[in-house]
This record gives sequence, C-alpha cells and structure tokens, in this order.
Amino acid sequence: MIHLVPFTADWIEATRAFNNRVAATGFDFPLEPAESSYLAVDGDAVRGAYMLRRQAVYFHGDEAEAAHFRLPLSEGTADRAYLSVGVQLLRHAMRQQPLLYALGMGGMANPLPRLLAAAGWRLAEVPFFFKVVRPFRLLRGIKYLRHSRPRRLAMDLAAFSGAGWACLRLIQPAVRSALAVECVDQFGAWADDLWWSCRGAYACIAQRDSGTLNERYGGTKYLRLKVSNLGWAVALDTQMRGDANFGYLRVATIADTLSVPGAADDVILATTAFLERRGVDLIISNQMHVAWREALRAARFRAGPSNFVFAVSKPLAARFEDNGQAHINRGDGDGPIHL
Amino acid sequence: MLATITEKVLEIAADLFRLAPERINEHSSPELIEAWDSVQHLNLILALESEFNLQFEPEEIDQMKTIGDISAIVFAKRDPRHG
Repeated sequence: MIHLVPFTADWIEATRAFNNRVAATGFDFPLEPAESSYLAVDGDAVRGAYMLRRQAVYFHGDEAEAAHFRLPLSEGTADRAYLSVGVQLLRHAMRQQPLLYALGMGGMANPLPRLLAAAGWRLAEVPFFFKVVRPFRLLRGIKYLRHSRPRRLAMDLAAFSGAGWACLRLIQPAVRSALAVECVDQFGAWADDLWWSCRGAYACIAQRDSGTLNERYGGTKYLRLKVSNLGWAVALDTQMRGDANFGYLRVATIADTLSVPGAADDVILATTAFLERRGVDLIISNQMHVAWREALRAARFRAGPSNFVFAVSKPLAARFEDNGQAHINRGDGDGPIHL
Repeated sequence: MLATITEKVLEIAADLFRLAPERINEHSSPELIEAWDSVQHLNLILALESEFNLQFEPEEIDQMKTIGDISAIVFAKRDPRHG
C-alpha cells in the first residue's frame, strides 16, 4: 500500500535506490530531506517523490500562498505496476496547496504536462524570443539549426559570403538606449519601491521584493541590472561549451525583469543594448506577459518555438483568466536553470 | 449490482483506451493494455468519478490494479455495506 510521507533522513538510501530505478527519466530526486519534499512509499521502498515550493503570489495586488509542484517522479515510468503513483502524487500535492503550478517540463508532449492537462490544469507555452547579435558566429555555431549536411553548407555559405550577416542585421539591427544601466551587487530599497509600485499591475506575479531577489539571484552567475529608475533585469552571459542546441555560442539570457507600469519597453531596450555591447552572440528570453512580449518585439527580438510550459491547477486558474496578464519568465519556478 | 458497475467500468475503459469491447475484461490491467499509461489512468479515474459521482481516496487509487479491482472499489463506495 502506497503512503505519502515527508522526506526524512531515514529515507535517503531508499530514495537513492528509487533514483536508480527511474534513471531512464534523466532526473534524480535530490537526496536532501526536507519538510516540503514528499515520498510515496510502499513498505521500505520509495515509489515516487515530489517537492513543493511555497511562495507568496499576488493577484492584482492581493497576496495569497501558492506552490510550485516540483520534480514529480513516479516509478510508474519504469514499472507499470506503479502507474497510479503519478496520480497519487498530484492529488496529494493538491491537498497540500490547491493553488499549484508547474513550470518548464520540456514541452507539452512530455508525460507530466499530459498528466496535468488530463487533470484539468490550464497549460500554455511561455513564449520564447531570441535576437542574433553576431550573425557570423551564430550561423557557424548554432547546433540546433545545423542538423543536416545541406543545412550546414547553406549556413556556412551565408556566413562566409556575408549574406547571412546582411540579412540578419536587416531583420534584427542593433539597438540603442540612452538609459543608464548599472550592474549592481544587490537589490536594495529601490527594488522594494519598484515592487510595491508595480505588483498590482499584474493579474498574477510571484513575490519579487529585494529579499526574494537577493536570495534567488545572489552570486557572480547573474548580472543584476538596474535600469535607470524604471526597472531592473536579471541576465546571464554564458559561454556555451558543446551545448546540444547552442554549441559554443556565447548566449545571454534575459531571465527576469520588472518595471514601473508602462516601462517594459525601456527596460528591455536598455538591457538588450547593454548585452549587445558586452559582445554576446545571441540573446534569448521567455516572457508570458503581453507587455514584456511586446517590449521584446520592439527591441527586434523574434519569436521561436517554446518548450517552457506554464501549467496552473484549476483553483489557481480561477484566480486569473488571462495568462497574457501574468508575469511569468525564467525567473519563476526553479529559476534560471539549464542556461 | 456489481455486474452492472463492472459493465459500465468496462465500457468507459474500452472507450478511453480505444479498444473493442471483446479486448477488455475484468482481468485487464496496465501490464496487459498498452494504452493504459499514467495519463489514461488519471483519465479513467476522473471519468469514473464523474460517472458515479464520487471521489476516490489515495489508498483506493493505489488498489486499482485491474478492471475488476476498480469495479469492486466503485461498488464499495456506492454502497458502503460492501466496503
């Protein structure tokens, strides 16, 4: 009989064995006991696991607690005798916190999004945008597009002839912004003032006060960019090393953003100009809110296929009708991972 | 009564798994039906909850190994004297 129990230290070895049995999923459940991690146990064996990350979320400025349904893993992926475990994990999580969401998941066709859709969750892809900064490097280096010999030849021809550079520069010219962009060590009181001024403008937004931001975006991995007095962006500047999609390109990600109402365009333009000056090859961003999507388009980003899925439970979906009014990006959920 | 419920469960499952009625019976299980994956398992649970106007408990979901098991659980829930 399966029971759901909190992950305590005495379950570490059984969880390690579980990870080995579900290794084909490509995921490992972290061997870190926590009150917010739950295990589906059957006698001495672990047959499933998930984590909940509770957080403050604001709906048109009204605060509520919601939770991120993280890394649900079921032995049903390896042994059909445990096929019901996924359903049990989901129902257990819903009882802990009905305002539940999941993010990422690698695309709509994967098992978890399909399971959530079957449970009546509302699913949408968080739109993906990209801007080519250095066309030659992109044409020569992007593995995602260079998947066949004819394609590689065509892209090399475009790169070495200069035709690719001309076309891409025409479509995606460099941008300029007169706004000051300051790379800061921490988010200060100014970020709190901004948070209080704008959180009511979104139908749904997770807490982004200075404490939350400093916890999430501490360290040297992130560029914390204060854009004049209008907003901020968190970016990554990553030199890829044999990445499956980006090869050896230098890829910047605009992972998270916030602005005073009406200034999304200014923040994106200034951040893009800043990243272009740093010499990256490509800039990417996932943004759900219509204002941030339009800001990216205004900065000459183009839309591409997204595998970053935002899924909300029925009770959470009832709190806001339009995904396009929710501020969701790579800063949400697990934060900017795999970037 | 149990026979009627089993008949309805079989009808819903056959429809969900896109199987001819003769390809599914009380002994059918996820091990025997390719289309019976975790998503379809959830769909089956939701369809049965809707059809019979009930809500399964986690431990009941755990016991649903075959169509026969599922029918027995539905039967017991509809008439607790048989639980």
